[in-house]
Amino acid sequence: MATPRVSRIGEGAYLVENEGQSAIVYVAGPPESPWAFWNGRIFNSASGSPSTAPRPRSERSADERETLTAPMPATVRAVLVRPGAAVKKGDAVVVLEAMKMELPIRAHGDGVVRAVHCAAGELVQPDTVLVELART
Amino acid sequence: MIRRLLIANRGEIALRIIRACREIGVEAVAIYSDADRHAPHVVAADRSIRVGPPPASESYLSIPAIVDAALASGADAVHPGYGFLSENAAFPAACEQAGLVFVGPPAAVVAAMGSKAGARRMMQDAGVPVVPGATPDDQSDEAVARAIERVGLPALVKASAGGGGKGMRVVAEREDAGDAIRAARREALAAFGDGALYVEKLIAHPRHIEVQIFADAEGRVVHLFERECSVQRRHQKVIEESPSPAISPSVRSQITAAAVRAATIASYRNAGTVEFLVDLSPTRPDAPFYFLEMNTRLQVEHPVTEQVTGTDLVHAQLVVAAGGALPWTQGSIVQRGHAIEARIYAEDPAHGFVPHAGRVLLYREPRAPGVRVDSGVVEGSEVPVHYDPLLAKVIVTAESRDGAIARLSAALRDFPILGVPTNIPFLLQVVEHPAFRSASIDTQFLDSAGAALAGKSTTSLDEAPEIVRAAVAAHVSAASERLSTSVSEDPWDRLQGWRS
Repeated sequence: MATPRVSRIGEGAYLVENEGQSAIVYVAGPPESPWAFWNGRIFNSASGSPSTAPRPRSERSADERETLTAPMPATVRAVLVRPGAAVKKGDAVVVLEAMKMELPIRAHGDGVVRAVHCAAGELVQPDTVLVELART
Repeated sequence: MIRRLLIANRGEIALRIIRACREIGVEAVAIYSDADRHAPHVVAADRSIRVGPPPASESYLSIPAIVDAALASGADAVHPGYGFLSENAAFPAACEQAGLVFVGPPAAVVAAMGSKAGARRMMQDAGVPVVPGATPDDQSDEAVARAIERVGLPALVKASAGGGGKGMRVVAEREDAGDAIRAARREALAAFGDGALYVEKLIAHPRHIEVQIFADAEGRVVHLFERECSVQRRHQKVIEESPSPAISPSVRSQITAAAVRAATIASYRNAGTVEFLVDLSPTRPDAPFYFLEMNTRLQVEHPVTEQVTGTDLVHAQLVVAAGGALPWTQGSIVQRGHAIEARIYAEDPAHGFVPHAGRVLLYREPRAPGVRVDSGVVEGSEVPVHYDPLLAKVIVTAESRDGAIARLSAALRDFPILGVPTNIPFLLQVVEHPAFRSASIDTQFLDSAGAALAGKSTTSLDEAPEIVRAAVAAHVSAASERLSTSVSEDPWDRLQGWRS
């Protein structure tokens, strides 16, 4: 089967062409919890999940510190690092679970874990700092 | 004429009224709670005034706060919209006392129609049919059984003291009466401490048909034909249309005449609705109808009447409230074409229709001939947790009912709202259901068929068709780059973690 061709035709609007047919699909929302609409149908990453889940944020200050925060109310399933551990960009450092969905929280760059602020089983709120990194 | 109107409401109806004000040169004053500081109705008004914190009881339901706001803003009139204070007789009374014109009937009329038993008696005396029923003076089992004989089978036996279906029993056959009376009596005593029973004729397949009426201060009363609202979920209307596909021209002329009689006897003024139950069981080809209640306000579904009669009911409300004459005579009002309204709620039909709050991330209204959208939100709006989750109403108009259904179906398929779940997929299931298309439903339709239709609403992304997944992948990868968040480069990594 041919791969659908996708062109962005406006904010949140995508023209998808596949095998001679075309359709407009609307997509919005943060990458970890996108919503889509097509032909009167609604698609969501976790149907029935809190709809206000803010997106994951990382704040980097001038001295190259990085904090990884919880994007939504969630349970910590696993903490994969300890203070002092070296991490590479893209490494998962914590795994959260919310509404039957696993969400790995990954390092944005190479660094060293400065502090871990969460533990497995803990319930975390949006914007709770999970892990602090120092960039290397 | 009204110079400055305070709108004691929010959401789509506040916007609807603001637009009418703008067209006729009346200044519109919006009120808002702290949850609505930048809501579309506040932005659209000529001026706005805070009335309290988010809970409705301290803001949109606070008579003192709203009357104070009206006086402080220099308004000379108040429009209640629907819901909130619109049917609370204390509100028009407080407005009258403060010297404000209330856009609606006088307080005494609101109070009289607010008493279900009182309204029923008044209508019965005026010769408007009511559902046959009685609370027998003699409450012995034998006397209650005789009352059941009088109203006819099937009948309902229920607690005279309460509502909510407590202690209600259906008597289908004569020999069931004894058991039903004793069981209803036990439950009535347990629930209300009062064993008095009320006996009522059971309408097995009722349709909900209501008549829009309008009256001015000179006592002129007209009707603007009927609306059919049989598609309801737990007494909440979901889809409304005009004309009713179920009644004959002869029943139409009887039911509209009865509504005018009801409005006249009630000394009604301004816009109102007389609700009837119509018995369309196969055994009743005469389609008897019964007065249910009178709504002393503008209805949510008023646009379907506007569409088929070519009128502006809100405009007429302002004219009549200011003491003006009705802008129409009965003979000038005609019903033309077919209109259907669907109510779009921020709710999740797949999970018990639970209302949702949140930010509307994407909102694009359908645009096509014969499509009207009355909306209370814009892209970026916050849907607060505190109020009714109605987002918008889609009203379609076409030459025929089939044409209107096709148009509604197309409009709903072209109405993306993202960020909060909506009932759009559910509405499509209803509109395309054979029983709705053939107009063979009664008020129990959604309560029996609705659950099966609701299950097919919001879908998990990993079950989405390939074209949807492709668009989502493009969106996610673009968004990930823009945000430079911790999201993996390959958006499909995300999907593998899902367990649904």
